[in-house]
Amino acid sequence: MKIDLVLRGIFSALFLASIMRISTPLILPALGGLITELSGSINIALEGVMLTSAFTGVVVSAFTKNIWLGVLGGIISGILFSALLAYFHLYLETNIILAGMALNIMATGGTIFLLYILTGDKGNSSTLASGMVPVVEIPFIKDIPFLGTVLSGHNIFVYIAIVLTFLIHILLYNTKFGVHLRAVGENPIAATSLGIPVRSIKFTAILISGFLASLGGLNLSMAYLSLFQREMTAGRGFIALAAVYLGGRTPWGTFLAAILFGAADALSTQLGTLDIPSQWVSVIPYAITIIALVVYGIRRRAQIVEQTKRFQERELVKVDNNNHT
Amino acid sequence: MRKFFSNPAVREVLRVIIAVGAALLLGFIVTLFVSEDPLGAYKAFLLGPLSKFNRFGDWIEESITLILVGLSVAVAFKANMFSMGTEGQLLLGALVSGSIALFVPLPAILRIPLAIIGAMVAGFAWGWIPGYLKAHLNANEIVSTLMLNAIALKIYDYFLIFHIKADDAGYNASDFFPKEGLFPSFIPNLPFLEGAYALFSDKTNITIMVYVLIIAVIAAYYLIFRTPFGYKLRMIGSNIKFARYGGINTKRTTILVFAISGIFGGLAGAHLTMGIHTKLIANISIGMGFEGIIVAILARNNPLLIPITGLAYGYLRAGANVMERASDMSREMVFVIQALIILFVTAERFLPMIQKRVEERKENNNHMEKLAPSDGGSHED
Repeated sequence: MKIDLVLRGIFSALFLASIMRISTPLILPALGGLITELSGSINIALEGVMLTSAFTGVVVSAFTKNIWLGVLGGIISGILFSALLAYFHLYLETNIILAGMALNIMATGGTIFLLYILTGDKGNSSTLASGMVPVVEIPFIKDIPFLGTVLSGHNIFVYIAIVLTFLIHILLYNTKFGVHLRAVGENPIAATSLGIPVRSIKFTAILISGFLASLGGLNLSMAYLSLFQREMTAGRGFIALAAVYLGGRTPWGTFLAAILFGAADALSTQLGTLDIPSQWVSVIPYAITIIALVVYGIRRRAQIVEQTKRFQERELVKVDNNNHT
Repeated sequence: MRKFFSNPAVREVLRVIIAVGAALLLGFIVTLFVSEDPLGAYKAFLLGPLSKFNRFGDWIEESITLILVGLSVAVAFKANMFSMGTEGQLLLGALVSGSIALFVPLPAILRIPLAIIGAMVAGFAWGWIPGYLKAHLNANEIVSTLMLNAIALKIYDYFLIFHIKADDAGYNASDFFPKEGLFPSFIPNLPFLEGAYALFSDKTNITIMVYVLIIAVIAAYYLIFRTPFGYKLRMIGSNIKFARYGGINTKRTTILVFAISGIFGGLAGAHLTMGIHTKLIANISIGMGFEGIIVAILARNNPLLIPITGLAYGYLRAGANVMERASDMSREMVFVIQALIILFVTAERFLPMIQKRVEERKENNNHMEKLAPSDGGSHED
């Protein structure tokens, strides 16, 4: 029975471990998307940032023979690339969506162009001897039967993603910068009137977003695979944006939403062994994204209704009180 | 002279020319560093499409696709809806029109119009979905249309591989369409046009789609600027809250905007199958829908300017292909040039020359803001 095999595949520790690995290159850019979203801009260029850093990481690590210099180079290139977006959006007043689209085109073309110059191949960087980041074995936990397989033995980006989700949560809700950032996103005019430097906060938000997305890109080319492939992000930057909405615009919500997408992706690979045309199976993540948007839309509408109701009740109470006095 | 430069239209054109010029110059500098024969490579890039008659044909065929996808994007963008859905609409338009061309046993005179209508309906339906999601659930249209593109691609592949492809075919493509399912050459085969007919149908695939395109451009212009619907569309585009307050049924209009944008996308699909490839193939459109965004932006979403920007943009792309074949430069360099053009053209403060105009407009906006509360730069309510 094939279905039997599939079910056994799904309910295994290895499957859960593969979800962790597949989700990480979504979690990191999704956190980036969250930061920009909360600061009131939408970062369409996540995809381009990921490609740029994935490429730079591979090239730098291949030429310096040092993995960490590669990672550093990838991060710097991603931040610089985001700075370009921020500069065009905030100083030259380009529509951020169009600027993001343009930067994605630039990253796609630029990486292939440079890849061709460096390797003579337009497909991938297999001729470059690039490094991979190490795998982390967690002591003690790795010896627990089921949990060990799920939690231990991943590449470091998996753990970085979890730690960063925690840190971003603190940054957003427990620091002055986070409060300012959300205020800017909520109402930039009010924020300006309070003396919050709107433009530089938005700029910083885009840079942080670029930093997070660059980790996602490096994850793809230096951990998930050991080379750079043209267009290897394959739309992850956009699915990451969808995760932000599905997650209700909170760090842990975004984290869980990204894992849900990762699970759908892993599931579609598992189901691939059944006699279903692979096209139908691989539609699952995209269909889930659309359903997520719908759910988010309905939730948001319910929230607004709820808020209005609360507001009306409060006002009614006030009116009542006034009448009594 | 000063009066000439203070004309906004002149400035706009000047700005585009300077932006394109700057981007091409940067491209040339890159070529200087990379290529062993930079002049030859750039010459192939800039003059390639005119160097041979069949290359000229390639340019025009590609431009027709670009203009159609450009119209599709412009309709949505004019309403300030950032639909990226043209790609998916194009794929389904191609699938439906291609299937009709292959399987519906009708004479050409009926089959071709049916296929065109089928493509338009497919695009309309696929555009309707994100429109509905946007209008009723405020679903972010960028994400929803991108996901629908991916789904459309899977649908296209599924039908192509499992239902349309001939069993003995080694690769994923349908049979060539029968003669009744192909667009005829744009020059009618009449006795006195024999020479031109032979020349064009021999070397190029320029088809009657040229006439459909002209109708489409005029229709898009009329729709946006000369009909009540177009007025609503533009109202929504300039301020959706104000439009709603003014009594416009914004939900209905939003849905229709997306769906009508889909009609043009579907037409582009019909052109790709029945005009250019003459069969259904895998990867029929690699990002063609996104190129439409650039064409529309360069034309400032004005349907009457889109043929010009479409031809210019098609020229760049055709030139890139010639350059790749004729020199050691890869065509992806042109992607970077394209990106620079978008950035320069859309940057409101790109040229100090127009700074004054920006300031004037800002002043007007500030004035407007005092009258009507703005939604404060956030892209979502």
